[in-house]
Amino acid sequence: MKNWPWAILAPAFIFVLIGIFSPWLMTHDPAAQDYAALLEGPGWAHWLGTDYLGRDMFSRIIGGARTSLVAMVFVLVAALAIGVVIGSFAGYVGGKTELVLISVIDIALALPSLVIALALMGVFSGANFDWMSDYWKMIVALTMAWWANYARMSRAVVVAELQQPYIEAARVMGASHIWIFTRHILPHVLGLVVVYASADAGALVLAIATLSFLGLGVAPPTPEWGQMLVDGMSYIEENAALVIIPGLALTAVVVSFNLLGEAFALQKVPRAVRGRLLSRKKAARAAEEVARKVVEA
Amino acid sequence: MTDTPQTDGPMTDAIDARGLKVHFQTAAGLVRAVDGVDLTVRRGAFHGIVGESGCGKTTLARALIGLQSATVGQVSIFGRDRADWAKADRKGFARAVQFIFQDPLGSMSRRQTVGQTLEEPLQIHGIGDNKARRARVQELLDLVALPETVLDRLPRSLSGGQRQRVSIARALALSPQLLICDEPLSALDVSVRAQIVNLFARLQAQLGLTIVIVAHDLAIVREVCSSVTVMYLGRVAEEGEAKAVFSDPAHPYSQALLSAVPSPNPVTEATRPRILLAGDPPSPRNPPPGCRFSSRCPVVEPRCREAEPVLRPVAHGGAAACHLADADAHAMI
Repeated sequence: MKNWPWAILAPAFIFVLIGIFSPWLMTHDPAAQDYAALLEGPGWAHWLGTDYLGRDMFSRIIGGARTSLVAMVFVLVAALAIGVVIGSFAGYVGGKTELVLISVIDIALALPSLVIALALMGVFSGANFDWMSDYWKMIVALTMAWWANYARMSRAVVVAELQQPYIEAARVMGASHIWIFTRHILPHVLGLVVVYASADAGALVLAIATLSFLGLGVAPPTPEWGQMLVDGMSYIEENAALVIIPGLALTAVVVSFNLLGEAFALQKVPRAVRGRLLSRKKAARAAEEVARKVVEA
Repeated sequence: MTDTPQTDGPMTDAIDARGLKVHFQTAAGLVRAVDGVDLTVRRGAFHGIVGESGCGKTTLARALIGLQSATVGQVSIFGRDRADWAKADRKGFARAVQFIFQDPLGSMSRRQTVGQTLEEPLQIHGIGDNKARRARVQELLDLVALPETVLDRLPRSLSGGQRQRVSIARALALSPQLLICDEPLSALDVSVRAQIVNLFARLQAQLGLTIVIVAHDLAIVREVCSSVTVMYLGRVAEEGEAKAVFSDPAHPYSQALLSAVPSPNPVTEATRPRILLAGDPPSPRNPPPGCRFSSRCPVVEPRCREAEPVLRPVAHGGAAACHLADADAHAMI
């Protein structure tokens, strides 16, 4: 990260800003169809052109940013809350409770999160779940697929902190379990988990787009990047921008969030965890080093 | 088991432990860290617990305050059963008894400033409002002679002596009557040790505390303690008034231990007799039969290897667990 310009983080911030202020930024109604202007290239009337129904691409990209941002925030907050509660409880209580909860966490971690989300979307498609809109189904499914990582991390931090002598010191001072947890352990848990979440946000945006791409996420009138990709694919020969623009937006946001997480990690995360997050990068750097030495020799 | 009165009267001892055993189950076998200790500490005493590494003195101190649960035995503090008291009134117990850890840095949250660390016990116990708490923190700083400038610093940016002062100040925040200190000096430089020892002595005189201090630095124990317990391999070897024990140790182990204390006078230091014990202390997993010290004792007799001696009164007014020591005479090595 040290060698990267800070500007690389801009897409993440721009994404958040656009998501928040999207109603004021859109030039057209993203759902309005204009049959007089189908599959137009970028121009003055439609800055980024139009899709096969004549909808304004610029407005749809901006609207899609809000869709992704809102869904991402919902899922992250819910997954983080569930994960921290379950993981911390397991770590603090210990014993058989911990064993059972760890098993659940491990099972959830063993399956790829997208597979869990897809399976849940399948379950939710049954008639019993008609009361939920597709949007909320997606959010619940992704939350259930995402919490385990946070639970695992929370538990690890809690177990490590509980062994610190200062916890014993707090006990000697007469502190209650609630005091010890909220005052001494929770800040450590949140410190790590929030950093991880900042890197995770990109993966989540991608997962949301993936579900929509597969036709399982956000329902059609709402603008969404994954859906725009799938719609655009059929017309890629007439107007390649329909695929390139949402694709670029998605890539920029994912990369940018990953780098944001790394930037946090370098400054905040304990060295052991930091090492794991960066191990690939370190390995690459070490390889470079070796290569340079070989060349010099 | 003695019949301890369940009152908090002024006549009860500060600590009264009976038949205390702490055993650990490890992969290599049962470790008898503390193996049947009776300990009495009078109110207002400055009591030292000494012995070499691994003799169970830290485990004993932790068991006294309940950081380590005892396998067998009972601890009464100010006449109340410790376990019952801590269970029924956790905060009340904390206000009466405090503990100082060997590692001051580890015993403080690395995220909290000194000010927050000192304020925490007051917050836990809901003592005073913000202003009153700040005043109390100021008082504590004065008590341990720290400048106000340390308040906003993190523990790791303090010197070793300052850290120990902060941890002492924190223990004093709740105005306890009994302070148990687990090797509070061993992490400190010799020059700082003297300061902290003087601080303990001053605090005791000022606040009328009962202090129990675990140490392996005998010179310091001799300097400040009023009574002393010498431990060997999980048991009490000798106990009594500090002056008496140090001037006329009855147990061969105490004699050997004391002969290792250097004298500040170079002439005596050069000529003083020294007793060198052979070998390491035996493992607490597998103590020798009979007297635990028999495997290293220079004056060992056959009966020492058969029967384990019990504590009995000796000439200096205390007690020793040695077959060769009784009220009239004791072995000299």
